[in-house]
Amino acid sequence: MGSTHFGRNQLISVDLFTDAYRVTGRVLVGTGGIHAELANPNSDFLELQDAYVSRIHQPGEIISHYKVAAFRKDNINFIVLQDRREGIPVGTQHGRSVFTRGRSLSVFLTVPSFEVAGEIMHDGKIAPREILVQSIGRFLLVFSAKASASLYPEISYSGDLILIHKERIGIFCLGT
Amino acid sequence: MARIYVIDDDEQLLRMVGLMLDRGGHATTLINDPVEGLEQIKQNKPDLLVLDVMMPDMSGHDIARQIRAQKGLESLPILILTARSQEVDRATALKSGADDYLSKPVTSQELIERVDNLLHKRENRTRPEQGILIVMFGMRGGVGQTTLAVNLASALRRLSQEEVCLVDLSPSGGQAAMHLRLQARTTWADLPTASELDWSVFKEKLTIHPSGLRLLAAPSVPQSATEPAPELVEAFLPLLQGQMTFTVVDMPRVFSPTFTAVLEAADIALHVLAADVVSVQTAVQVDRLLSKTGISFRQKSYVLNHIQPEAELPQTTVERGLNARVASKINFDPNQSRALAQGVPLTLTSAKSPLPTMMNRMAEVIWQRVVNAAAKK
Repeated sequence: MGSTHFGRNQLISVDLFTDAYRVTGRVLVGTGGIHAELANPNSDFLELQDAYVSRIHQPGEIISHYKVAAFRKDNINFIVLQDRREGIPVGTQHGRSVFTRGRSLSVFLTVPSFEVAGEIMHDGKIAPREILVQSIGRFLLVFSAKASASLYPEISYSGDLILIHKERIGIFCLGT
Repeated sequence: MARIYVIDDDEQLLRMVGLMLDRGGHATTLINDPVEGLEQIKQNKPDLLVLDVMMPDMSGHDIARQIRAQKGLESLPILILTARSQEVDRATALKSGADDYLSKPVTSQELIERVDNLLHKRENRTRPEQGILIVMFGMRGGVGQTTLAVNLASALRRLSQEEVCLVDLSPSGGQAAMHLRLQARTTWADLPTASELDWSVFKEKLTIHPSGLRLLAAPSVPQSATEPAPELVEAFLPLLQGQMTFTVVDMPRVFSPTFTAVLEAADIALHVLAADVVSVQTAVQVDRLLSKTGISFRQKSYVLNHIQPEAELPQTTVERGLNARVASKINFDPNQSRALAQGVPLTLTSAKSPLPTMMNRMAEVIWQRVVNAAAKK
């Protein structure tokens, strides 16, 4: 289940996490990547095709499969991608785009049941509040990231890019 | 070349993986339905399985678990190939019974390397340094010797999933190919001379049955009774023992230098006879002849095959005549005539009738020898 192209759109593979479930499936995204889908103000829902559902405490075991599943964006804690190019708009992965310019900063943050460590790109004053307010969209981009289950640290998920729902963040720590 | 089954519900990826494996020199069977795939694996027992995890109706983990619980499939190498690429997914895959794990997308080189590595490991796990040579012989015709040789070879292949070769040395029109419904394009009559023979030449003369069993067929046209020459047999038997875990030879009913050469080399010699007076008398005469030639058997046993519904002689009388115990008795099996007509050996079916039951038991005893020897290493 890799990415499949349909003209300018493509189906990308994602691992999506809510409070109690891990759902693996495919999302149809345009040239803006999944970040644009999540930021789309015309829809409160994200649709997954070929959704395979696992419980958070047994994340390898598939408990059910559905052709289509819809998620209320507010209830998504984070989304793991294996390739950052599928997350942000085409042509912005390199150089000084709004997503990649500035300094690379190490971050540690928590969302319900998980702690996430990785790197963010920020151009401007280095302060947690500035970063959370200034970054575009509802989801924060954490590159080369690893999410570990708070109660089961042996369960972890790594991704080239993890998109974190800003409103679900509990603790936000910045390094250098 | 290994027989590899690939199960993935994504047809595009299925074809791509199939193409990669084909280029790696393997024979692939592509299946996009997991339930059907499991059934096919149970029936055909491939050499290796490449398995997706996320599939509707049945996950790859469920398939792996069912395969591991299935007798005869416990050691089938399973490579999980999935888009779920996290460490927990790897751990779950291995826990479900898979031998290795790869995340998609995968390169052709990576896939072939992993597949070849698994196949290599499997070969080293159980294969003895020298394969076991089993010889079925007897001078009385019509006692079902070829039937037993074909069924034993098939049972060994099905049970062990190791390399097994059946050799039909008959000079008077080979029957083994018919039992297996194979059209052998090459036979032992096409082999070069002993000095020109090596494995690369020899393996091209073998015919492969869909079960994976290999056959060195006999020519369909009767040959000179002295063929194949003993030097040739002495040249190819070590080749087979070097490459095959089991070689089963169906011997001709001709007492010749070839006959004695093969018996000399046998690890297990099975003297097949029927429960009738002529068969017992012939067996006694053959035994006398063999003791005169001074052949020393590593292991020799009598197999009593009831080819008629009513046995002419009881087992005790046969044993008294032979002055030896019969190691295996196979009761008359009415299914055999149908199996021969269909070209499917009974040990490759789910039949529970006397012949496959006994031959499977015999195969289990022989296979256990190999497993025990491998465990001691």
